[in-house]
Amino acid sequence: MSTDLDALARQTLSRVLRDHPDPASLDLGENLVETYGITSLNKVLFLTSLCRAADIGLDNFTEDDLAGMRTLGNVVDALRPHAPVKG
Amino acid sequence: MTVSIINRIITERPTHDGSLTVTGLGHRTTVPLSAFHDRARAVAAALGRRGIGAGDRIGILSANRLEWVLLDIAALMLGAQTAGFEPGKFSPDADLVERYGLDALYTDARLPDDAPSGVLSISAVADYAEEDTDGFEPEQWAATQCTTVKFTSGSTGVPKGLEATVGSIDSSLHAVQSLFAHRPGDDILTFLPLSLLQQRYWLYSALYWGHDITITTYQSVFAVLPSVRPTVVMGVPAFFDTAKRHIEGVIAGGVEPAEAAAELFGDRIRYLWTGSAPADPATLGFYGEVGLAIFEGYGLNETCIATKNHPGAHREGSVGRALPGKEIVIDDEGIVCVRSDHPVNTAYTYAASGDSERMFRPGGIVRTGDLGRLDEDGFLYILGRSDDVIVLDNAKKIIVRPIETRFRDTGAVAECVAYHPSQAGLVAVVSPHPGPVDTAAIGEALAAVNAASERDERIIRVIVADEPFTVEGGLLTSQFKPIRKRIADRYRDRLDNPKAGILVH
Repeated sequence: MSTDLDALARQTLSRVLRDHPDPASLDLGENLVETYGITSLNKVLFLTSLCRAADIGLDNFTEDDLAGMRTLGNVVDALRPHAPVKG
Repeated sequence: MTVSIINRIITERPTHDGSLTVTGLGHRTTVPLSAFHDRARAVAAALGRRGIGAGDRIGILSANRLEWVLLDIAALMLGAQTAGFEPGKFSPDADLVERYGLDALYTDARLPDDAPSGVLSISAVADYAEEDTDGFEPEQWAATQCTTVKFTSGSTGVPKGLEATVGSIDSSLHAVQSLFAHRPGDDILTFLPLSLLQQRYWLYSALYWGHDITITTYQSVFAVLPSVRPTVVMGVPAFFDTAKRHIEGVIAGGVEPAEAAAELFGDRIRYLWTGSAPADPATLGFYGEVGLAIFEGYGLNETCIATKNHPGAHREGSVGRALPGKEIVIDDEGIVCVRSDHPVNTAYTYAASGDSERMFRPGGIVRTGDLGRLDEDGFLYILGRSDDVIVLDNAKKIIVRPIETRFRDTGAVAECVAYHPSQAGLVAVVSPHPGPVDTAAIGEALAAVNAASERDERIIRVIVADEPFTVEGGLLTSQFKPIRKRIADRYRDRLDNPKAGILVH
């Protein structure tokens, strides 16, 4: 699931970014705001879209959690414990 | 105007079924407005026991939360003023208390070690709400009394402070209700800071007319929208621009437009409200195409809402007709002047010398500084800011706003602010979209903008901002308007360097 979540996070972020870069080119360690220019509004849209795609409840997270998600890697790490286990 | 809504909502416990929901990522609290009224009354009594009374001033420096609105209504009940401070722009220190004459300051910020005794954690208000009301009875307000100090967004320097009269609040609430008929079953969602008085209007409206209200934050708004399923969303153009780009992406993925819009906004939208900054015509058109009515209006802090499109009178490109109680006059210089039957005020309480005289005129008139025109049916069209007019050495006047809008409408940039640092021509500072900057696309957009412009209106250089303009970065107001002067200050070196940026070939 972690690989799926990685891929899903990259795809979702790519869709949020204007030029839709190759998902594989996105760096899990880069700062979402400073490197990718994500605004507060875009960040929550990104999280909302990713949670929907990953079937993870948004109510697992708080605004403080969102503030702590500075990189794509942070986002994946925060979501991973809540990802449904595939049967 | 027959009834004071403010006096009614503080004295009469609601008998309707309206409710208040305060929500955000990971939390949601819904309270019947009748129970909310009881709690606010308990808070008022508790504040009274702590020495706060009529004529005192309570500062609130906090993100949106239930305690914010409890304090607001409690202060109204006490006859005390509120001063709402936008989080991040003020510190809860002795200077703030002294500068604005605060008798108490409630904040969600960490209290400094040397915080004055009147600076308290806003979480204490939840405890106040559980205390005894001790037979407390609310005060009544006269129409000319001021319930609150509101602060301008501060496009330059220190924010100006303006006290708002009860008469102006009552008048605006009655006028808006006459246009939109909010009613039980409606749920109005607000997410902008409650320090902006107009955001609290919707609570007053809910208490009076019995509809629901949902309060969230801009960090959470997109996360909670689909599950809240509001009927009305109060936003600003930048919010609706962001939502548009998201919905367009979903549509591109094969989802039907109306379904894509409902996926984000919920399936009960009656209309969307926008104002505070000029809306992009393309954005307004987009919402029409996906089946969501959107109405643009116009007003300043100093006038409150002055004009509004609405279901009964809507003209594309305009900001609507004057509200009941307002009159729009265009003066000899083309400046929009707003006359109010019940003015917000006739002067600032906190401002630099001369600021009040420039803005407020006798007879309840505010000279807005915006350039506009009225059509034959009274619809107002905003053409730009008078201080955004550049006078060239050939005496030609250029209004930069249409040029900036043209650039934004190319889709290559999120925002554009044009300056005239030298007689060589206009220079634009543009805010890129999130992601890698596409210099080629911006260059193409520049060429297209110039091709559609008159010679004197052409942009000779474009400076791409190092990062998108944001509220947090200090280059957008809390209502997402670019702060022209700060952007110029931030990029002054490049504005003045004739070789900086993307040059016209």
